[in-house]
Amino acid sequence: MKLSDLNEKTLEAIAGKKSKALEKFLSMGLPSKKSEAYRYFNVENLLDNEYETLEYVPKSIEVGEQIEIVDGVVTTAPQGMRIYYEACDQIDDDHFDPLYYLGHALYPQTIKIEVDGDAELKLLHRFTKSNALINYRIVLFNQANRHATVYETFDAKGIENTLVMYGYDMHIAKDSSFRLFKVQTMQEQNYSMIASHKINVAKQATTMYKSFDLGGDQALQLIKIDLGERAHIDAQHLLYLNEQSKRGTVSQIIHKGEHSTSNQEAKNILDGDARGIFDALIKVEETAKYTKAYQNSKAILLHEKAYMISKPQLEIYIDELEAAHGSTTGQLDPKQLFYLRSRGISAIEARKMLVIAFANTMLETIRDTRHQELIRAEFEKVFYAHAKELS
Amino acid sequence: MITLDIQNLEAKIGDKQILNGLNLQLEAGKVHAIMGPNGAGKSTLSKAIVGHYDVAIVGGDIFYKGKSIKEMEPEERALEGIFLSFQHPVEIPGVNNAYFLRTALNAKRKHEGKEELNAAEFLRLMRTHLEELGMKPDMISRSLNEGFSGGEKKRNEILQMLVLEPDVIILDEIDSGLDIDALRAVSEGINKMKDGKRSFLVITHYSRILDYIEPDYIHVLKDGQIVKTAGPELVAQLEEEGYDGIIVNE
Repeated sequence: MKLSDLNEKTLEAIAGKKSKALEKFLSMGLPSKKSEAYRYFNVENLLDNEYETLEYVPKSIEVGEQIEIVDGVVTTAPQGMRIYYEACDQIDDDHFDPLYYLGHALYPQTIKIEVDGDAELKLLHRFTKSNALINYRIVLFNQANRHATVYETFDAKGIENTLVMYGYDMHIAKDSSFRLFKVQTMQEQNYSMIASHKINVAKQATTMYKSFDLGGDQALQLIKIDLGERAHIDAQHLLYLNEQSKRGTVSQIIHKGEHSTSNQEAKNILDGDARGIFDALIKVEETAKYTKAYQNSKAILLHEKAYMISKPQLEIYIDELEAAHGSTTGQLDPKQLFYLRSRGISAIEARKMLVIAFANTMLETIRDTRHQELIRAEFEKVFYAHAKELS
Repeated sequence: MITLDIQNLEAKIGDKQILNGLNLQLEAGKVHAIMGPNGAGKSTLSKAIVGHYDVAIVGGDIFYKGKSIKEMEPEERALEGIFLSFQHPVEIPGVNNAYFLRTALNAKRKHEGKEELNAAEFLRLMRTHLEELGMKPDMISRSLNEGFSGGEKKRNEILQMLVLEPDVIILDEIDSGLDIDALRAVSEGINKMKDGKRSFLVITHYSRILDYIEPDYIHVLKDGQIVKTAGPELVAQLEEEGYDGIIVNE
């Protein structure tokens, strides 16, 4: 199947019936270079590829330490986890990403995960098929007044030319706190990913979304976040890219409720010919008086061919708020480099120290030291594997 | 014995020539103070010695223990034993102070063919030096110079000096921004390093620091040249007559 060949008739044949998601997708059409969300991402190349489509046949779920989803099917989960396959009845009405709707339309049966009580979950996505379109969506609920953490990782060894389209519809319950740590290391020519998320943060809930996107290949995370009254999102994105990689974040944080707060920060380290994307809008609606919204992107280019697209944006419809945004792109600070070298540290080692330091300022915000150490180790592994080329 | 021999040094920052045929010799075991008016070239001289990227040497040479260092990288000069205490030490968020110091120390030890220190050995060494300088123990677990007060930054420079044990020590306005207690602590740290073999080059605007670190020679720098060299008695004369008075009399 080629996604670029899809039309109303073929989609209806695949989906079985005309759903709301399908109608929304048809009204928006396939993304292209002209689409706002995909302007800086070569989505057309991905849509033009021929992919094998998969059958998503639910299997019995074995008991394991973590939730494991293999090629879109849950295979293991901790004892007592509530996981179902069912149609999503709360699809967002106004997502900016047509592929959010296409994902729902192509396979309406979503993986529904109910996080029970205070919980810490590990979620591993494993991809094993080459030349495949792997498409699945996860609907995630947590409970009010509870605290949950999801630590999400990805594994795909020995495959090539696969496109993964996945995403969350998260419903963060009122008065709860929820933290998601996403750590994704990708290899060149392994698989590409379009991850289209919707996160609804209910009244007085606090959500943390921290993504650590490392390595190569093509991937884009498109996130729409709705904030209710006194809801808070802390979104942080660390990007370390090398070679020909094109990856990044396109996001919309919509302040809908009064006293809602958001803090979004991106740190981007780009080596080789990599292109990083941070195209992020914070919108404060008329109903969201007394909002506080902060957004910042910093990028370090380690190679003359590396390129960062940074577009922090604020769209504000009220006066009663605090908001600020900013963006900087540059190279390693020559004063800092010289300081380290003046103490006998080699130029190459000094550069490595400064790159790690730049990442550290984000890694150190992870309060749980176990998570912090795991993510730091992954970052350093990927970085040092490519750092030999630093000069 | 001469540790550092600067011969007819000419240096530029950008298009502007700052040092104009400067000659200076540092003797082992001696404290040399460089004084001079604003814009005389004091900081440019210190930068030229350590190989700062701002400064282009366009004439003359710098010899360290008889070897030209003009073409050496900054880290090579540091490993050989040249140390600059910066006037404005840069903050580096995310680089742990202890990690930085241990990396620098082990680079030097490796260069000298010594075994690297492990974390426990290094921490023991640190504890002693921190106490000597009156520094809080948590300062080495913080990011390098980040959020440090002016005094803390200068103490951290001296801590690095104590750890790295260089042979030529350049102190660029080490007294600026220090209160009396910090000045005393920093000076004691410096005086501890006097072992009869090391050379010190103290760059200062004011004579105050020289009450604590007794100089053997005073050099007056003006318009990129050393225009007068004398013993410590010159400090009092400078206080009385100012740079203009001294230079006119010359």
